[in-house]
Amino acid sequence: MSLLRTLRIGVLARALEEILQVPSQAFGYPLLQPKGLSREAREGLVKVCPSGAFFEEEGIFSLDLARCVGCGRCALVYPEAVGEMKTLEVAVVRREDLVQRVDLAAQAFLDPGPPPPPRPELRLPTLAFREVSAGDTGLADSEIALLGNPFNDMARFGFQVVASPRHGDALLVTGPVSRNMAQALERTYQAMPEPKGVVAVGNEAIAGGVFAESPEVWAGVDRVVPVDVYVPGDPPRPGAILHGLLLLTGRVVQRLVGGVVR
Amino acid sequence: MEAVKEALQEGRPVAYFPYGEGALLLVERRRSLEAFPLGQGRRLPSLAAEFPSLDWFERALWERGLELVGHPGLRPLRRHDLPYAFREFPHLHEVPVGPVHAGIIEPGHFRFSVLGERILNLEIRLGYQHRGLLGIMPGKGPEAALLLAERAGGEPVAHALAFAEAWERALGIEAPPRAQYLRRAALELERAFGHLGHLAGLFTDIGYAYGATQVGRIRALLQGEVDRLTGHRYGRNFIRAGGVWREGRPDLEALSRYQKELDWLLPRLLKHPQVLDRMRYVGVVRRVEALALGFVGPTARASGVERDLRQDDALYPAFVPVVRQGGDVLSRAQVYAEEALQALEYALRFLHQRAEGPLAVEVEAGDGEGMARVEAGRGEVFWFVRLEEGRVVQAEGVDPSFKNWRALELAVRGEGLPDFPLCNKSFDLSYAGNDL
Ligand code: SF4
Repeated sequence: MSLLRTLRIGVLARALEEILQVPSQAFGYPLLQPKGLSREAREGLVKVCPSGAFFEEEGIFSLDLARCVGCGRCALVYPEAVGEMKTLEVAVVRREDLVQRVDLAAQAFLDPGPPPPPRPELRLPTLAFREVSAGDTGLADSEIALLGNPFNDMARFGFQVVASPRHGDALLVTGPVSRNMAQALERTYQAMPEPKGVVAVGNEAIAGGVFAESPEVWAGVDRVVPVDVYVPGDPPRPGAILHGLLLLTGRVVQRLVGGVVR
Repeated sequence: MEAVKEALQEGRPVAYFPYGEGALLLVERRRSLEAFPLGQGRRLPSLAAEFPSLDWFERALWERGLELVGHPGLRPLRRHDLPYAFREFPHLHEVPVGPVHAGIIEPGHFRFSVLGERILNLEIRLGYQHRGLLGIMPGKGPEAALLLAERAGGEPVAHALAFAEAWERALGIEAPPRAQYLRRAALELERAFGHLGHLAGLFTDIGYAYGATQVGRIRALLQGEVDRLTGHRYGRNFIRAGGVWREGRPDLEALSRYQKELDWLLPRLLKHPQVLDRMRYVGVVRRVEALALGFVGPTARASGVERDLRQDDALYPAFVPVVRQGGDVLSRAQVYAEEALQALEYALRFLHQRAEGPLAVEVEAGDGEGMARVEAGRGEVFWFVRLEEGRVVQAEGVDPSFKNWRALELAVRGEGLPDFPLCNKSFDLSYAGNDL
């Protein structure tokens, strides 16, 4: 068995299922427990979260995964109110699918309905992508680069980085899009041939992350160029980014719907 | 004024930021820090003509609305809404590169003036990564502020550590011994991880695939241990004001195995003819230049400057900095290699030594001012905070890359254009850290 596997993917490469798991020592993504959201827990959660990922509004309590930095404190302090998702299959095509919303009266998740399918013209056996860092601290960039290392070996899925946007099928963007980078990002996008996909990699790229309030950033790639796939994380682990690329090329189905694995 | 000049003559600037009526200039001289409040009514006398190490500091202050009287060439550093003119060299060909590069790196613009293949001048224009980080600091409590500090530069642990220590000093508290060891262990692992990344990148750039793969492999395994210790692949969410959040269990045996493997591997890789051929005598930064422009970290140490902030840290008794005299790409690679090994050794020592006791002390809301410096992989990280009722009123940070970017301009002068990526990689500067 292991010889067969080695012959197939090499000595160091990890199997896809392994790459798509959060390792045991680290906190994955938080998961609200609709039945455990007492008033006290809700007030506590809003206070304990350093990045303001919890909101309460008109009987609906929500958690935005794109604001969560993954510290794990909410689940530690209020285990009855917040659990954990250990999967890295978290990429989505619809922004709302990163927000868990609980109807407090019904003690149940709100279902936003089935997500739209990925774009059929991007159903590709291989994908060449260009990366643009637009205000990222360098870590999301680093994770994308590490997708190419012998452990993750994205080349076996047909993914490769290209030097010019003219050779790309997809654009990966990291960072909250600093004002000073917006024009360069737009022009890179325009330089790509059709059909082209855009992946927003990391919380900052999705909605600005901790920089959302800064006047120097656009706080979201989709405010500058259209986005096809969102990959939450701070930064997302290589497995999550890989899932985003697989989702973009239509090779896996979206797992998160309304922020919950369904 | 004479005292300032005297200090700058023998030392180098550490930080320079708006303070009270004017600005506060911090200078390190003979390993100790001296503070000089300068200017009034938001007017400052410029010293950049005499001390080029102050040039970027003064431009940054000017951008923030202070008046710099007598500066020889004020141009914006981070703001792109102000006009900016590149230096022109008639009859030379110009090669503009960036902000979007061919590899997966952060954005910046490089303007080369070349004669044939030779680079006669390089002008670096940054600011693309400017996210207004310092501007959104005021009003933040310790946890939200630390999230921002962790995103100030490419080295989250070093930034978090300096920021947390500044916070603790402002309130007159100290992290418990157990946290001190764990913080330093994370810092050293981050250093080893970063340095191995620089080395793997250098080997890639010269087409030495064996070296790049081997170093990259151990680096990826090492990242797993950072993950085990801190719960994050880059050590975020680990350090807090007053201590640390958790105590993970890295595999100490695996760590010492990596260290042994690297100990065998790195010296051999760096003696490979291909490496010597491409890295030796390329991209030289001389010692006088390093001193005059106030470079820090491995960049300075590879040019013969014997300074490492760990020399002053009580947790590193009898610390000996790694120094090389050559100032070329090879010297920097040698410093990275040796420091990576040294870092792993310290990390293991701290993890073995770890004390008993609490992971953190309570942090009360209070008023005060504090500052701290930490030797990160790239050099000196500086943070200053002023607190009122436990919230930030002013926070100022300086990433080592801010002090080192001009080393790249110097190093590539006279080199061939194709050697630029190699020279760039040998410093591996943080763009975000510079642009804050
Ligand atoms: S794990 Fe996420 S949601 Fe929970 S406290 Fe930390 S940042 Fe907030």
